[in-house]
Amino acid sequence: MRDGPGRPYRRLRRQMLAALIAVGLLPLATVAGASLVAFQREIDARTRGGLEAIVKNRKATVELFLDEKLRQLQLCATSLPVAELSQPGVLEVLRREMQRERGGIIDLGLIGEDGRHLAYVGPYDLAGLDYRGAPWFHEVMVQGRYESDVFLGFRRFPHMVMAVKKREAGKDYVLRATIDTDLLSALVREGGLESGADVFVLNRAGEYQTQYSREHRLMEKADTGPIPVHSGVRLVATSRAGHVEHVATAWLRGHAWTVVGRQAAPGPWAIAGAQPTLLWLMALLLVAVVGLAFLIVRHRLRQFRGLEADHAALLEATAQSQKMAAIGRMAASVAHEINNPLAIIDAQVGVLTDALTDGADPPSRDELRDRLRRVAGQVQRGREVTHRLLGFSRRVGPSVEPVAVEEALDQTIGFVQQGDTSDRVKLVRHYAPEVPLIRSSLAQMQQVFLNLINNALDAIGEEGEVHLFVERSGLGVEVRIQDNGPGIAPTDLNRIFEPFFSNKSGTKTHSGLGLAICRDLMRSLNGRIDVSSTVGKGTTFSLWFPPEVPGD
Amino acid sequence: MTTTRVLLVDDEVEFLEPIAARLARRGLECTSVTSGEQALAALAQAPYDCAIVDVRMPDMDGLELLRRMRRMWPQVSVILLTGHASIELGVKGMELGAFEYLLKPIEIDDLVDTVLRAARPR
Repeated sequence: MRDGPGRPYRRLRRQMLAALIAVGLLPLATVAGASLVAFQREIDARTRGGLEAIVKNRKATVELFLDEKLRQLQLCATSLPVAELSQPGVLEVLRREMQRERGGIIDLGLIGEDGRHLAYVGPYDLAGLDYRGAPWFHEVMVQGRYESDVFLGFRRFPHMVMAVKKREAGKDYVLRATIDTDLLSALVREGGLESGADVFVLNRAGEYQTQYSREHRLMEKADTGPIPVHSGVRLVATSRAGHVEHVATAWLRGHAWTVVGRQAAPGPWAIAGAQPTLLWLMALLLVAVVGLAFLIVRHRLRQFRGLEADHAALLEATAQSQKMAAIGRMAASVAHEINNPLAIIDAQVGVLTDALTDGADPPSRDELRDRLRRVAGQVQRGREVTHRLLGFSRRVGPSVEPVAVEEALDQTIGFVQQGDTSDRVKLVRHYAPEVPLIRSSLAQMQQVFLNLINNALDAIGEEGEVHLFVERSGLGVEVRIQDNGPGIAPTDLNRIFEPFFSNKSGTKTHSGLGLAICRDLMRSLNGRIDVSSTVGKGTTFSLWFPPEVPGD
Repeated sequence: MTTTRVLLVDDEVEFLEPIAARLARRGLECTSVTSGEQALAALAQAPYDCAIVDVRMPDMDGLELLRRMRRMWPQVSVILLTGHASIELGVKGMELGAFEYLLKPIEIDDLVDTVLRAARPR
């Protein structure tokens, strides 16, 4: 049982380790998770606060930019009469003056009620255009002013159109300017944003009005979609490309444009990475938990091994003490068997010694011879005891030959009946037909038969029956020797094959070795011996012989 | 002086005969029987001063015989004979009222001495 101690322990070790580590890591994971959630919340709040501030700030910046341009245009329109504004030289002076400001004016034109330019200064050839049907022209006439969305002109740079109405002498005029909005993009992006953050301006259709990164292509639709009109700053969390993103929006006055700020929410790993102390602490605890688990498991397994060793030692000690008890019983039995003849020899020698020392009544020759013969008889008796003992401990393996089991049994019965002439004892044979020949040791087989038949005859006393069965069983042969004697008590039944165990009483001498020898012989014949017994009904010994005994 | 009458009880006839011969040579009057039953029968028929009883006997063993004798003939002293292997039986016999126990093989002088002490009227 100790030849493979590693295997069951390896599994136990795995299970214990898994359990301990799981138990140890559970609170650790809980704390880590809770901390992450808390950090995430805090970072989210900070991110949203930052976004809101940025969007508010940019809204103000963009409004300021647009207001400034509009005010300049209105100032020009109101402060100068049409007569002067319609002179290209005057317009050119104004254009240059306004270009000095941030976000320059590209061209400037005065348009009459008929939608045709009265004067135009700028790089484009717009002099001949008729704006009367254009929606923006109509809007200026109605609203008094107009601001376009941003678009890319022929020169591929972002700009917008701004126009104001001027009324003089009952006639309406429109002062129109094209404004370079390149600066607007810079203004919106300026001031440094956190990494992962983005700010831009969209029109009502959700198209980019500012361009900074490659992602923002002017006039193209943003992936945020059109932003519904709302007041103030609106904050929403959306999912974009699998990541959570905070989006803050604020509409400009007039609700033509909206400032959009967005920032990706950091993932758990980014948050954890931002807490190196916590991360180190967790790693340290992890190592501690795993290390501790290994230590505990090693210690426990050592204890288990110790317990197992103790257990094995206990078993061994028990087996040893049983062996010693058996030896003790044997010693007692042998001592008894040797002691009796010794006592008799001693007594006989004593008688002769008495006669010699006394001299009064010398023994006759016959008496002398008789006493010496009795002494020799007792010596023989002692010798038999020692022989039996030796025979039990050292037996030679006889040759294997083809054996007819029924014949072997018959011969043994003949031998028994020579010794016992009583015809009141009945031996009843029940031999099945066609019992196969087997290869076995005849001598050993007959020794077993002799022992068992003698036992059966002893058991039945003077009026009983012994039934002998021989039949094929599997490939081998089964022999049953059944008596109707007193039977064997269940408590004795499992001890009867023990050396020197005997429940026989009587004047005959019994070594208690018979059944132990039978068991040994059957073992050497590769056979089996079993016993069943019922007290008051009798005992049956079953022998099974294999078809062949490997041997010489 | 009257002779001391001794009852010898042992299942081994081979043992009884020479012991009886040796005791007789030392002036003791011996009767030999080979079982407890026979011993009880002999005790019922004649008076004895002392009995020498082997502990190990089939059917009725020495201790059983001792018990019955203590009950029926308490005046007869019992000397138990036992092998070395069953000293504890001898000790038990002493508790049951045996006069003495001796180990086989017996030293004849010890036996005679014990018999004489056992037969002395108390």
